[in-house]
Amino acid sequence: MKVLLRLTPYIKQHIWAFSFGLFGLLGARIFEALIPLYVKMGIDNIMAAQSANETGDILSPESIAIAQATLVYPALAICACVVAQMVVTIISRILIRRIGIYAAFDIRNQLYGHMQRQGPAFFAKFSIGDLMARAINDVSLIRQFLAGTTRLTSVLVFTAVVGLGFMFSLSAQLALIVILPLPVISVVAWIYSKHIYKQSHIVQEGFSRLSTFVQENLNGIRTVQAMAQEQDEVRRFGMVNDEFAQHNQTLFITNSALSAWMPILAATATLIILGYGSHLVTTGEITLGTFAAFFSYLALLLWPVREAGAMVTQWQRGASGTQRVFEVLDYEPEIRDYASEDSANPEFPELTGKVSVRHLYYQYVDKNKYALEDINFDVEPGETIAILGRVGSGKSTLLRLFVRLIDPVKGDILLDGHPINGFPLDFLRHQVCLVLQDPFLFADSLGDNIAYDRPDRDVSDIWESADAAALRETIENFPEGLQTILGERGVTLSGGQKQRTALARGLVRMTPLLILDDCFSAVDTETEEHILSGLKSVRQNLTTLLVSHRVSTARHADRIIVLDEGKIVEMGSHQALLESNGFYADLEKAQRVKGGMLDQIESDEAKI
Amino acid sequence: MNATQKKLDHSIFDADIHGQAMNFQYLKRIMAWVKPHALLVCTSILLVVLASLLAVFLPVIITRVAIDTIILDTPDALMPDFGMNSVNEWLMHLTGFEGIVTVCILYGVTTIACHGLYHLHRVTFAKTVLFALRDMRLDLFSHMEHRPSSFYDKVAVGRVMTRITNDVQALFELLMGVGMLIGEFVPFFLALALMLTIDVELTGYLLLSIPIFGVITYFFRLATRKVYRQIRNTVSQLNQNLQENLSGMQVVQLSNREERNLQVYSDINEKNSKQEVHAIQLETGYGAFMDNMVNLALAVIIWVGGSAVLSDAITLGSVILFTQFIDMFIRPIRVLGMQYNILFRAMASAERIFQALDWHEQIREPKTPVRLPGRVKGKLEFKNLTFGYDDNQPVLKDVSFNVKPGEKLAIVGPTGSGKSTLIRLLGRFYDFSDDRIFLDGHDLNSIHSTEVRRRIGVVMQDFHIFSGSILENIVLGNQSITRAAAISAAKSVNAHEFIEALPDGYDTELVERGQNLSQGQRQLLAFARVLASDPEILILDEATASIDTETEQLIQEALEHLMQGRTSILIAHRLQTIETADRVLVLKDGKVKELGTHQELMALRGVYYTLTQLQFQDVSS
Repeated sequence: MKVLLRLTPYIKQHIWAFSFGLFGLLGARIFEALIPLYVKMGIDNIMAAQSANETGDILSPESIAIAQATLVYPALAICACVVAQMVVTIISRILIRRIGIYAAFDIRNQLYGHMQRQGPAFFAKFSIGDLMARAINDVSLIRQFLAGTTRLTSVLVFTAVVGLGFMFSLSAQLALIVILPLPVISVVAWIYSKHIYKQSHIVQEGFSRLSTFVQENLNGIRTVQAMAQEQDEVRRFGMVNDEFAQHNQTLFITNSALSAWMPILAATATLIILGYGSHLVTTGEITLGTFAAFFSYLALLLWPVREAGAMVTQWQRGASGTQRVFEVLDYEPEIRDYASEDSANPEFPELTGKVSVRHLYYQYVDKNKYALEDINFDVEPGETIAILGRVGSGKSTLLRLFVRLIDPVKGDILLDGHPINGFPLDFLRHQVCLVLQDPFLFADSLGDNIAYDRPDRDVSDIWESADAAALRETIENFPEGLQTILGERGVTLSGGQKQRTALARGLVRMTPLLILDDCFSAVDTETEEHILSGLKSVRQNLTTLLVSHRVSTARHADRIIVLDEGKIVEMGSHQALLESNGFYADLEKAQRVKGGMLDQIESDEAKI
Repeated sequence: MNATQKKLDHSIFDADIHGQAMNFQYLKRIMAWVKPHALLVCTSILLVVLASLLAVFLPVIITRVAIDTIILDTPDALMPDFGMNSVNEWLMHLTGFEGIVTVCILYGVTTIACHGLYHLHRVTFAKTVLFALRDMRLDLFSHMEHRPSSFYDKVAVGRVMTRITNDVQALFELLMGVGMLIGEFVPFFLALALMLTIDVELTGYLLLSIPIFGVITYFFRLATRKVYRQIRNTVSQLNQNLQENLSGMQVVQLSNREERNLQVYSDINEKNSKQEVHAIQLETGYGAFMDNMVNLALAVIIWVGGSAVLSDAITLGSVILFTQFIDMFIRPIRVLGMQYNILFRAMASAERIFQALDWHEQIREPKTPVRLPGRVKGKLEFKNLTFGYDDNQPVLKDVSFNVKPGEKLAIVGPTGSGKSTLIRLLGRFYDFSDDRIFLDGHDLNSIHSTEVRRRIGVVMQDFHIFSGSILENIVLGNQSITRAAAISAAKSVNAHEFIEALPDGYDTELVERGQNLSQGQRQLLAFARVLASDPEILILDEATASIDTETEQLIQEALEHLMQGRTSILIAHRLQTIETADRVLVLKDGKVKELGTHQELMALRGVYYTLTQLQFQDVSS
């Protein structure tokens, strides 16, 4: 509950609208409370005219008109109250509900900005689905809390205070007895609403189990059919489906029982007024008018009493939503942008691409072994270095350290002699480009995907990089060319095409240091050959690091670093390493015998 | 393939359906699922009628019996009491208690009975709806489960999924809404009947409120429909943007796109906020008006009714009764207004559901299927097979070859040569002409597809892992496979070792798509799955993903074990796999180019020779 205090800044921004809105809502209740008075006045006026009627036989048309005129006032007064109540309610509600919308707007933007500054530890802790749920469901819980719960709570409290006030002022004796059953009602309502909340949670989970089942089943429909398991899957779905219906039924029974208990419990209060109240009337302790008034004040009081439980749940829901949102917002980014945080933002000149790695160590949080251990090497500007090693040898980890997707445990990476965490983060990532193994493309045009870092790039630059990534033909085959939209609503590229697009995205930036993380795995060998041999002329005097587990890729580099179990085991040129007859030579032999794939045969063969 | 299936237009599954009008045809069809519970529905309606009657008595007991008769002792003969005074007198006579005591008892009992009946009504109705829709959902799922690959090639899984999940859920809301309306309209008609017997003219004035209400609701709907659509749009844009940004976060950060992306997101966010504000303005206005309908009606009653009393057209008691019943009269109209949106949404959902249920595309099954013996020999013959997904674009052209029982045949060829299509036809995923493929001499089309798939085990390239334990993924619902059999299958294909190394062994839960397994491990698991189901013929589409050398070795060993004693067709991407085969078939542009043993084809110095030469050339250069 305390976490709700963190929402105060969002209300404070609109404190005038908020107070005005609440005040207005209370005012509207007064107008509403006046309506029964005028109804009573109308009936009294009719009665008065009628009793006049009893003396004579029939009223003259004139006196009917006079009597009718007495009804105009109460009728118009009711209309006036209705209009006033409506206008005030509408304005106040809009004022308050808008605050919820504005707060949701602010929080969404904050979450988005905050998540963009996070590193892998954050994304390991929160899955994308979880983050989506927080940004969508929990933000809307906060919105509901600010715009609905606060408003309803104050109206409820106000109504209860007014009802109690009137009751006690009329007859403290009767009031004290009448309110006896009220706490019971609140408690029953509260217990039930807790139950309902829990039960609806179970129903929600049941629904998502149902959805997951259907989704998985349909995604694997070919497997299901190939294994002739349709009937069995239908049977299994029947179980999930039935369970969902059962849970739903329980929820409805609980819900309905609450709706039944409330008026029955409220009837006890009515019975008290009826029994004890009539006794007080006969003893003359209260007047008949007071007796009648108690019924209407009880009606006034019952509503907040009944809703009290639901209110508690609403506050709890608001609190849990707030807590889940702030859990994300409070997460400190693991990669600190020290240089930008210092107010004196130093200017750095364009880097040359000279790299020095000094005693570099990295260890994953959940592992007890170094992923990288005492890595040392230097790269001169313009050099192309291949990093080779088996799966899990630490290649990708090493590359991620260069762009500070992760920070080392010990040791330094120096660019032009400066340790990289001395650079502002955006400067570093302007100068060093990493192309990831998994080519993530956005549901946007091909051109915008290539020029992702700066959408205003020259088209000629885009084509140049497309050429270098052997992508020109692919693009030209689409009628829309660079404007071709990718993704679900557009064109689906093959794995190789995706990788080449990601490669073009990296090449177009012409950064002093380019790092390629095994981004030829789905590209056929011949095309890879073509790209790699072109790379040297495209990136003249610029440094390139590339990772692979194919020897055929590595041999294009000036030098090769062989990593194994997080350590550098060999370093040198292709020829030198072959001659030294070590790890690299073994790998080369092994891959020559069996590792090769026929994929490249297919593309070559197509030309035969 | 028959002509009618050719004309199917799958794009209707992508169309946006908004549900423009009430369609009673759909309601009638939904009733088919409600019918088995007809008795329950009738009971439920009877209960609500009874409960509503009791609800009418409650205020009468307080005002007429307790206050007027007992406390004031001025029973007003002009005011109807529906015999409640007599009931109370009878109670007094029966129990010998004082009037005030019996009226309390009467009130208490009536309240409990009334709300108890309401409760039973709601529970029975909810039960009917829940079970009717449960059955509908199961029917729908089962229907979709049997649609062929040609259907799923063209319709996105998400489209089918939302029909089974969300659309059925929307119908649930609709039917519950109908139940709620019944619960509200029974009192409405009771009140209407009472009011008509009291005063037709005054009731007429009040009935005028219905068209006024209708017009206002119509305009409200008109105004909000557009806003709601805009909001739906911006919300889904927001979610898409967020999802994409989170998925590609590393690329975003590496490209320094954070600020620009936040700007884009913030722009959509702002648009969304403006629309939301617009929507609440409309909603709040409409809601406040609806809330005050009752009060406006009160003004009418006082003015019109009061005047009528003065000219002796009606009695004062009637006017007071009118003020008491007015809430029963107006409430259902308000509820109807609230149900409006649900109704239209549900119409759209019904349309989508029936669209799917009416889609009868399926694999052609033989009228009198051939019964295969307990174990087939596994001889496969292809005779002049020509096939295309579209009529004018054949993918396979006049393909003929035989596979002997127990033989291992490797198929090689470039992408698009028709290799995968050949596999799909063997799995009976598509329809093709009769007398083209034979299994042990029987036309494949004369065997039921389920039977074919039981005999021919297919390991697909992108094989699917279901969430559930490793064991469940091997067994895949086939109850005839015991745990021991599954483990023994896993052992045979070298999967046992890595499975045992997992935290819970065979009971380790796999996440969707098996992301906690490596490529190679998934391949081994797929082998175990097919081995456990023990088909006579094995079809393997080898995965192309790069796998490290050690796992590669395990896979090759497992493969050899898998093929033992089975007729096997391998779509090979690796030279080593080809070498394990007895014969090699070279497919190109849908035609058989070469067929023979590795040595024969090498000697032929044709396409195959060039292929293998290139392979060696590359690595040794």
